[in-house]
Amino acid sequence: MNLSAKGGGSGFNPVLIILGGAIVLVGGYLISLLAPSLFPVAASAEAGPIDQLFQVMLFLGGVVFMLVEGLLIVSIVRFRARKGETGDGANFNGNITLEVIWTIIPAIVVVFITLYSYQVWVDIRAPKDDELLIEANGQRFVWSFTYTDPLDRLAELNTQTFSDNVLHTYVGRPVRLKMYTSDVNHAFWVPTMRIKQDLLAGRETEIGFTPTVAGRYRVVCAELCGSGHGGMFTYIQVYATEQEWLERFIDPKVDFIVNPPSDPVVLGQVTLQSGRDGRAYPCSGCHVLDELGWAGVTGPSLNGIADTADRRAQSNGLADAADYIAQSIRHPNAYAVPGFNLGVMPQFGGEETEPEAVDGAYYMYMPTTDLINIVSYLCTQTATGDSACGDIDAITTAVETQSQ
Amino acid sequence: MASITVPMSGAQTAPRPKLSEYLRWSVDHKIIGTQYMATALFFFLIGGTLALLIRWELLTPALDFAATGSIYNSLFTMHATVMIFLWIIPFWAGIGNYIVPLQLGAKDMAFPWLNAFAFWLIIPAGILMLAGYFVGPAEAGWTSYPPLSVLFSGDGQTLWIISLHILGVSSILGAINFIVTIKNMRPESMGWFQMPLFAWAQLATSLIQILGVPFLAGGLTLLLLDRVAGTAFFDPSRGGDVLVWQNIFWFYSHPAVYVMVLPGMGVLSEVISVHSRKPIFGYKAIAFSSMGIALVGFTVWAHHMFTSLSPSLRIPFMVTSFIIAIPTGIKIFSWLATMWGGKIRFNSAMLFSVGFLSQFVIGGITGMMLGAIPLDIHMHDTYFVVSHFHFVLFGGSVFAIYSSIYHWFPKVTGRMLDERLGKIHFYVTYVSFFLTFFPQHIVGMQGMPRRVAEYAPEFQTMNIIISISAFVLGISTFIILFNMWWSMNHGKIAGPNPWRALTLEWQTSSPPPSYNFKGEVVPFEDPYGYGTEASRVYLDEMEKRLTPANLLGKTGDGGNSSEPMTGD
Repeated sequence: MNLSAKGGGSGFNPVLIILGGAIVLVGGYLISLLAPSLFPVAASAEAGPIDQLFQVMLFLGGVVFMLVEGLLIVSIVRFRARKGETGDGANFNGNITLEVIWTIIPAIVVVFITLYSYQVWVDIRAPKDDELLIEANGQRFVWSFTYTDPLDRLAELNTQTFSDNVLHTYVGRPVRLKMYTSDVNHAFWVPTMRIKQDLLAGRETEIGFTPTVAGRYRVVCAELCGSGHGGMFTYIQVYATEQEWLERFIDPKVDFIVNPPSDPVVLGQVTLQSGRDGRAYPCSGCHVLDELGWAGVTGPSLNGIADTADRRAQSNGLADAADYIAQSIRHPNAYAVPGFNLGVMPQFGGEETEPEAVDGAYYMYMPTTDLINIVSYLCTQTATGDSACGDIDAITTAVETQSQ
Repeated sequence: MASITVPMSGAQTAPRPKLSEYLRWSVDHKIIGTQYMATALFFFLIGGTLALLIRWELLTPALDFAATGSIYNSLFTMHATVMIFLWIIPFWAGIGNYIVPLQLGAKDMAFPWLNAFAFWLIIPAGILMLAGYFVGPAEAGWTSYPPLSVLFSGDGQTLWIISLHILGVSSILGAINFIVTIKNMRPESMGWFQMPLFAWAQLATSLIQILGVPFLAGGLTLLLLDRVAGTAFFDPSRGGDVLVWQNIFWFYSHPAVYVMVLPGMGVLSEVISVHSRKPIFGYKAIAFSSMGIALVGFTVWAHHMFTSLSPSLRIPFMVTSFIIAIPTGIKIFSWLATMWGGKIRFNSAMLFSVGFLSQFVIGGITGMMLGAIPLDIHMHDTYFVVSHFHFVLFGGSVFAIYSSIYHWFPKVTGRMLDERLGKIHFYVTYVSFFLTFFPQHIVGMQGMPRRVAEYAPEFQTMNIIISISAFVLGISTFIILFNMWWSMNHGKIAGPNPWRALTLEWQTSSPPPSYNFKGEVVPFEDPYGYGTEASRVYLDEMEKRLTPANLLGKTGDGGNSSEPMTGD
């Protein structure tokens, strides 16, 4: 067969070429139909164009796949040396027409997908009108999000923002996240919304998206950040309407700030869930605590922690359960719980706490009032539900002792 | 399917060097090449074991096999580092070292002493890398991003840095050697466009190495200083910038992937042409596309940073990443056109090259998808990326390595590998490879990030399928290792040219004498000139010249490999 002759020879049967081309194109099309099933549900406005771009690229990829694999299979079948055959193939080593074709056509495809991808990217990236601004914070190994009251009820107060470990928003409102990391690089990824953006140490980064379907969707850290990277996830709770979002999320949070409860146990519970001055404490990222729905994997479980603290206090030379719990927070590297490593839990220091010098550990500020409330709450984590610690004065003493 | 045309009966025509010669300093490129390849195969087993430990952990969504997340993180850190820097890159240096001087009709590389020195750097570097296990291994990924790699990685991270520095020096020295050898040591009649494409591939690879490795060295030095000397190159709280590492690292590490695949593409050009008994289609296009890929490869690096680079800077890298598909496509179509109209012998070497074609194209397609910024936003740092690079690095590079072993083992050892075992190896590897890595595209798109020991429970079924396939893939490695060990002494005698190939390495005994060629070196006018009367005449003439009687004649004695080069 002589490929340098135009169109002649059995290798260039026009019917076979058209048939082959049709098989390749139809095959590529059929492959592209798989695209929707490969993605999780689409829950954002951005997902639409992204999924469609993927489907087009899957079509193009499918065509290339069918073409290359098809030619391979045909070659294997048709040009296999038969048994006993020792001769060579035909001596041709080039064909300018073919080489031009398979340079130009890919170049055209490249131009097309460049322009198409560029257009999708510009649309996704463009700032939208009336964005809901939320601050996101990533740290090893928990997410926290900081909100302001849309009804501005906190204007007169010291605390103007509030935090939560879950991202709360509602359908149809564009969100813009301004993101910071407390330590190493992380990445914010919502698979159902197809958006991802790294959090970079020393920088503010941002990402915008618009949820379109109500529901609860996983948020995953997508940049290796250490031993608890796989466990660093949370959710985005998308309410169906703004009203629902206000009633079920914003209002209770504002109410807690405007009318703080006086019971230290209640204060402690909400502090654990919402943090202080807009920064959520990262406990839920590492610990299990069924009552609050925490499912962390990096640290010891806090279920029944007050009973455990009571048992351990004696052998550790501490006064009581409150003392143990306070020490575990103020000086986490003073005692290694069996099966866990030192230097992973942040040190939550107070106004006068001596920072510990342990490789890899780092420091967060937790004021004494917060710690008293948190210890009060954790003291109720017993088998019976009754506090294992004394009254508020005893707890305060324990906390102040450990705050040195 | 008989591919041996003239089995040489009787004794080996040139004795193989003794085992002890491989365990000590030698300036013979054939010994050095073998040393590189054996060392690389050893590290392949280590890297592979680490992979199986990873897959064992991933059988369940919880962290239960590895004691801590840190231990798990060190598994994939060391797996990737060992596979890239101690397996694939040194293996290509090894086979290149062995074959390129022979293909050019030369007695050795341009700088034999430097050649040995570059190899022997691998040994302390490898020891340092593994020594990390005694002090807490590196656990920040092979990409080693600060602040994680500065603040939260074991002392082994420092050893990792020093080891890579040493390996970088080795790469640069080897690259210099290849470039000078290829430029200066061809025979008179072998112009640039008459030399084998494997040499072109090694040339392009070497150019990448000398231009790119210094950047890695620079980045590694800054990281080392931050770790041990209290500097703040990557500490934002003291004026440093974490993105600087990412840019420097990827400026080298993207071209590094072409270092890993270009020699494999060179192998394909050799194997497909020889075993299809047809000239390579589009020689110049393939040669120029290798150089094109090397060049354009330096312009795409920030496609690894589509979620961290400033958004307004991302577009140019999408453009260049798409452009690099064109020279790659040219090669794939050229190889297909080489096979078309041939008389193809489907021996193990050919099977693995065809396997490369079929798997690498999938990796190329997913690479294009990742090059589109809106898609990469979803797929970056997920198992989709893991799948993509394993398709091009295993389905591509490792398949090409296997192909090169089946193709050139007869030349290196004088014995053929067992064909039945080779075919079993191919089919087991091909199927288990596909089942291990193809599903990873899907779990990645569904929401599973990479570098995690814990994952959402709905991904467990897929992960079990992947892990079981991975264990089969791991076992398949031993088929070829056993084949190599057994065939070394029991395989059919290969003779000088079992494949009746036209390139110069086949126009001498198997293995070659220490001085490579007896008498004048006569390259055929076209290293891929199959299907002509002239090529038949040449090969018949060579067969006559290379009979045992002639090879064992007046001065042919195999020689002591540490003596200076002699011979007619």
